[in-house]
Amino acid sequence: MDALLDQARLIWEGEIDFKGQRLVEYLTYALLTLTGLIAFFIGLSTQDIYRTLYIGLGGTALTFLIAVPPWPFYNSNPLAWLPAKTAPRGMGSGVDRAQLQGISIEVDGKKIS
Amino acid sequence: MHNTLTRIQNVFGFFTSVAFAVAAAIALSVVLSSQTPSASLELRNVQVVKGRPHYYSTKREEYAHVKFDLDADLSTLFNWNTKQIFAYITASYPSTTPSTIPASEAIIWDAIIPADNAPWHQNTYIHPSSKADVKAKKPAKRGSKSKKDTTKPYPAGAQPGILKLSSQKPKYQITDISGRIAERSNATLTLHWNVQPYVGALVWDSKRSIGRWQGLKGGESKFEFPPLKGTEGVKKEDLKVEAGGERNRGKPA
Repeated sequence: MDALLDQARLIWEGEIDFKGQRLVEYLTYALLTLTGLIAFFIGLSTQDIYRTLYIGLGGTALTFLIAVPPWPFYNSNPLAWLPAKTAPRGMGSGVDRAQLQGISIEVDGKKIS
Repeated sequence: MHNTLTRIQNVFGFFTSVAFAVAAAIALSVVLSSQTPSASLELRNVQVVKGRPHYYSTKREEYAHVKFDLDADLSTLFNWNTKQIFAYITASYPSTTPSTIPASEAIIWDAIIPADNAPWHQNTYIHPSSKADVKAKKPAKRGSKSKKDTTKPYPAGAQPGILKLSSQKPKYQITDISGRIAERSNATLTLHWNVQPYVGALVWDSKRSIGRWQGLKGGESKFEFPPLKGTEGVKKEDLKVEAGGERNRGKPA
């Protein structure tokens, strides 16, 4: 049940990694600005304001489609987290204590591991 | 930008900025389109009769019926951002004591002229077809195509902003606040308009040229209100009700 809820939460929140966040921000600004410029100039050259409206709305819909869902290419650079320090209790075979050897973690100048 | 909700908010937020910028650019772009409005407005006939403002009124007032000829070309006022034009004709006349009371101005006729791509509305103007056109079309009245042609705000074969009215009846009969309008002199008929855009500012008519917008050429004529037409013998109850054209919107009043 918990696993199912976690799955649902992942889909609902749709988190992406840090490089993906930068990419999606660039894409949003570039696509929407381009949409506005294209809509205005096509409308002006054809003297049809409805064309401006529909190109603008279409481009915005496209931007939503590209920027909002957590597409796989936004998650292509996952962050390499440090392994857990101790195996969680009750999980039996967790991370081996030996794997933590040679890793030093400092917090505020104090060595904690 | 880390989860879906934040991304929706960011995209929508920037979309509103872009929409505002595009709307502002459209509103400003209309100064690039050149305008050369011209009109010739002539008084055809003016009569002053006594009447009552509504059926139960005990007042007797003088009403002026101003018939006019209008040949206007306002088609250059329609650019890509024009939704409709409210065109109206005023009769203005000085007061009896011009030093203290300003001149009066009353609308005798008006029309909402939509652009070709504006959504249909029942209040928009339908240009009357000329007599020759009506006669020529009568045999072919069965088809629905001819009916569509006659419900346009401009004469057949023309474009929005063209008005060719001959001996047009007024939409509104005008009177003075004193109830007396006969034998006033120095009156002027003037064509005015108000351009209503899809986005941007409302623009009224101007005699001056600003940039690529030329001022209105013509569209003015002087006249005098004639003496009262003989209704002295008519009983008060038999006087006509001088209701305006508010109730027949759209139709050629």
